[in-house]
Amino acid sequence: MTTRLIFPLLAALMGGGFLWQATDGLRAITAEEARRISVAENPRSVPETYLQAMDGAAIPLLPQKNETVLVEFIYTSCGDICQVAAFDFSEIRDQLALENADVRMISISFDPEQDTPEQLSYYGEAHNADGTLWTVARPVSLSEDQTLSDLLELFGVTVIANEWGGFEHNTAIHLIDENGQFSRVFDTDDVDQVVATVLESS
Amino acid sequence: MNYSYTPQSGAVKFTMILSGAVFALMMVLGLLMRAAQGEWLDIEPELFYQILTAHGAGMVGTAGLSGAAVMWYFLGRHIPLTKAVFWIFLSLFIAGVVFILGSIFVGGFAGGWTFLFPLPAMSGGLWEVGAAVSFMLGYTLIGVGFLIYYIEVGRQIIKRFGGLANALGWQLILGRKTDDIPPPAIVAAAAVVIFNSIAIVLGAAVLVVSIVNLLAPEFEVDALLAKNLIYFFGHVFINASIYMAVVAVYEIIPEYTGRPWKTTRIFAIAWNVVLIFVMAIYWHHLLQDTVLPAWMLITGQLVSYFSGIPLLAVTAFSLCVYIRGSNMKWDLTSALLVISIAGWSVGSIPASIDGMIAVNKVMHNTQWVPGHFHTYLLLGEVAMSFGFMAWLVRGKNIRTLSGLDKAAFITYVFGAVGFILVFLISGAASVPRRWAVHLPEWILQDRVGTIFAALVVLGTLGFVVRYVLGLIFENQASGDQISGDQNSGDMSSGGQPSLGQKA
Amino acid sequence: MMFRYGVAAVFMASAFALSPFVVSDPVLHVLVQIPLLLLSGGLVASRITISKDIAYVYLIIALVTLIYWMLPRSIDAALSSTWYDVAKFVSLPLLVGAPLALSWKHIHPVLRGFLKANAISMLGILAFLYIHAPIRICNSYLVTDQQNLGYGFFFVAIALSLYWSWPLIFGAPTQRPPQRTRSQHLSYEGTSSMSSHPAVD
Ligand code: HEM
Repeated sequence: MTTRLIFPLLAALMGGGFLWQATDGLRAITAEEARRISVAENPRSVPETYLQAMDGAAIPLLPQKNETVLVEFIYTSCGDICQVAAFDFSEIRDQLALENADVRMISISFDPEQDTPEQLSYYGEAHNADGTLWTVARPVSLSEDQTLSDLLELFGVTVIANEWGGFEHNTAIHLIDENGQFSRVFDTDDVDQVVATVLESS
Repeated sequence: MNYSYTPQSGAVKFTMILSGAVFALMMVLGLLMRAAQGEWLDIEPELFYQILTAHGAGMVGTAGLSGAAVMWYFLGRHIPLTKAVFWIFLSLFIAGVVFILGSIFVGGFAGGWTFLFPLPAMSGGLWEVGAAVSFMLGYTLIGVGFLIYYIEVGRQIIKRFGGLANALGWQLILGRKTDDIPPPAIVAAAAVVIFNSIAIVLGAAVLVVSIVNLLAPEFEVDALLAKNLIYFFGHVFINASIYMAVVAVYEIIPEYTGRPWKTTRIFAIAWNVVLIFVMAIYWHHLLQDTVLPAWMLITGQLVSYFSGIPLLAVTAFSLCVYIRGSNMKWDLTSALLVISIAGWSVGSIPASIDGMIAVNKVMHNTQWVPGHFHTYLLLGEVAMSFGFMAWLVRGKNIRTLSGLDKAAFITYVFGAVGFILVFLISGAASVPRRWAVHLPEWILQDRVGTIFAALVVLGTLGFVVRYVLGLIFENQASGDQISGDQNSGDMSSGGQPSLGQKA
Repeated sequence: MMFRYGVAAVFMASAFALSPFVVSDPVLHVLVQIPLLLLSGGLVASRITISKDIAYVYLIIALVTLIYWMLPRSIDAALSSTWYDVAKFVSLPLLVGAPLALSWKHIHPVLRGFLKANAISMLGILAFLYIHAPIRICNSYLVTDQQNLGYGFFFVAIALSLYWSWPLIFGAPTQRPPQRTRSQHLSYEGTSSMSSHPAVD
C-alpha cells in the first residue's frame, strides 16, 4: 500500500518540481521567453565593442557617461519583420527625442558582408534614422577573439538562413543600461514600455 | 423495495439529489433573468451576464450529469461497471463546478457558457484573465471526468459484445444471424460513447488552446477553427445528455406496458444515423459565417433538418405502439417519461425551422433559439431525469397519479409549455436573445414568461422534495435503505468485475 | 529477442544518422528522430516484467520526461548545446520509451484509455498552435517549417486515432460470455421488481 501510493506521489512531486524548474516557474516554454527571463534576472555585462556606423565612423556599443543604449539586430535586405521593427524603432526614437532622453539607438546588421556602409545608409534613409539618436551599424572592427557569433550569443540572438537567401531571427529590442549591462529585452512593438523604461533610468 | 440488484444505486441516487437541487437552483437563476427582462427586478447588466453564464453552464453541465447517472444506472443491468470510476467522474464534475462558480461569482467571468473565442479574453476590464482561465479549467475537469466515464462504459461494452460495431447492432443491420442482440440501452450507450468521446477530445483541445492563448497571448488562435470546435463540442455534448437520459424510457416504460423494448433493425439503423448526424448538426450555427464553403452550409441545413428525426421517429413511434396495445398505467414516472418524448420531438421542430438558411439569418439571434432548446431540455432531458427520480422512489407497485403528484406534474408541464411559447413568440417578433435590458414593448411578454417560469420552478420543487422525501421514507421503511443499497451496490460491483474478467 | 534488440539498434543508429539533418528540419526532428529513440527504448524493455507496485512510478517518470521534451525550448536547447543533445539521446529511450513499455500492462485500463485520448488531444493542440502561431516557437527553425510540423502533428493525431479506435469498433470476434455471466445476468432480471418485464432476449 505504502509503496503503491507514496512512491508515485513522490515521483509526481519531484517531476512537478523538475518541470517547474525547466520552465522557470511555468513562465517560459520557448527559448525566447527563457532568454528574456534570464536577462532580466541575471543581466549580462557587455564587453567593449566598436561598430562601424553607416557614415563609416567607428562607434562604441557600450553606453557613454549616463546614457542608455537600445539595440536591435537586423539585415538591411530583410523584407518583413525588420521593416516592421524599424517602424516601431522610429516611433520610439520620436518619443524619446521629444523627451530629450539620454539614449542612443543602434540597429546592428548581422550580415556585415552584404551590408556595407552604403547599404546601411540606404536602410537608415528609408526609416529616417539620421544618426543623431538612431544609427545603423555593422560589426567590423571586432577583434580576433571577439566574433560576430560571440556577440549574437551574448544577446541570445539566433540567425538562420531561409530558403530565399535571407534570414530568420528572433527580433526584439535589447537594452544596455548605463552600467554596461544588457538587462532587458522587449517586443519591438512594446513601444510605451520601452520609452517608459528608458526615461526612468535617465 | 428491491432495487438492490442494480449496481451502484447509492451513487446514482446521490447524483440525482445533486442534479435535482442544481436544476432547481439554476431555474431560479433563470427566473431572476426573466423577471429582470420584465423589469420586475432590478439587476445590473453585469450581474445579468454572470447569471446567464452560470445558468447556461450549470444547466448544460447538470443535464450531462443527470443523463450520465441515468445511463450508468441502467447499463448496470447489462454490463459490470467499476464503481470507483463513477466516483472519480462525480468528483471531477464537482471540482469543475467549483472552478466555474468561482470564476463567475468571485472572478466576475461573464463570457457566456460557450466561452466563444475571443470573448473570454476581452472582458473590457470586467474580469481578470485568471477568471477566464479558471472557467475553462473547470470545463476541462468536467470533460476529463466524462472521458473517464465513457472509457469505462466503452471498455465494458467491448468486453461483453466484442466491439462497438456489434453493440451498435451492425449484425442486425447487415442481416447476419445472431442471437446476441444488444439491448436498446447498450445500443444507445455505444453511440453516445463514440460521439461524445470525440466531442470531448476536441473540446479539451480547444479549451487548452484557449487557456494557452489567455496566458500567452502571443500564441494567437485561429478564430474560425476555434468557433467550429467550440460549437461542435457544445452541440454534441448537450445532445448527448438527451441520448443518455432516453435510456430511462427504454428501460422503464416496459414495466408499464408489460412489453419489452426490443432492439429492432430500424431501431439500430436510427441510432447509427444519429451517430453520424449528431456530429454535423452544429453546422446550422455557422450559417451566418459566409466565409465557409457553400457545400458546408447546405449540408448543415439538410443535416439539421434530419439529424434527430429518424431516432425520434423510431422512439416516438415505438412508444405509441407499445402504449396503444397495452393497458398503460399512469403514474408520475410514466407521465414524465412519455411527455419527455413528446417534448423532445416538438423541440426539434423549431430547430429545423431555424436550420433553414433564410430563417437563420433573421432568427438565430432571437429568443426563438432559447425557445427551441428549452423545449427539448425542460420537456425532454429534464423531464426524463425527473421521471427517473420518481421511478427510483416509486417502490414495487405502480400507483396511479395521486393528487399532489398530479398537481406538480400539471404545474410543471403547463408552466413549461407557456414559458417556451412566450420565448418562441418573442423570437418570431425578433426579440433578441441575451439582452439584459429589454425595450418597453417587449416587457409584457417577458412578464408573462416570468409567471410561467415561476410555475416551472414550483413544479420542480415539488418533484425534488418528493424525491428526497421518498428516499428518506424508503430508508425508514426498509431500515436504512440507502446504506443498505450502497452495500448491496458494493457487493454487486465488487462481484461483477471479477465476473467480467472471467468473461 | 535478438531480433527485437537488432531492430532497436537499427532505430538508435538511424536516430544518430539523422542528427545532421534534424538541425534544419523540425519534422524530422520531432516526428521521426524522437519517435525512433522512444521506440528503441521501448523495444529493448518490452519483454521485461516489473513489479506492479513500481509501475506508476515508471509511468510518471516517462510522462514527466516526455513533457520536458515537448517544450519548444528543450528542442532549441538540443540543437544549440551538445549536452542537451546527449541528454536527449539518453533520456528519450531510457526515461520515456523503456519505462512506458515496462509499466504499460500494469496501468489500469481506464487510465490507459485516458492517456491515449489525451495523446490525441495533445497532438491536436500542438497542431492548432503550430499551424497558426504568428510567432516563432523555436528559434532554430523557420516559420514555414514550424507550420509543416503543425500539419505533421495533425496527421499523426488522425493516424493514431484511427489506429487506436479501429479495434474498439470492430474488436475481437464476438465473445459470448460464458454461461455463468449469462445466468447471473438473467438472475438479475429474475430478482427484479419488474416481474412483468420479460427477459430481454
Ligand atoms: C424555470 C426554468 C428556466 C428558466 C426560467 C430559464 C430562463 C432562461 C433565460 C431567461 C435565459 C436567457 C434568454 C435570453 O437569451 O434572453 C435562458 C438561457 C438559457 N437556458 Fe434557461 N431557463 C430555464 C430552464 C433551463 C433548463 C432546464 C436548461 C437546460 C437543461 C436551460 C438552459 C439554458 C441555456 C443553455 C441558455 C443559454 C445561455 C446563453 O445564452 O448563454 N434553461 N434561460
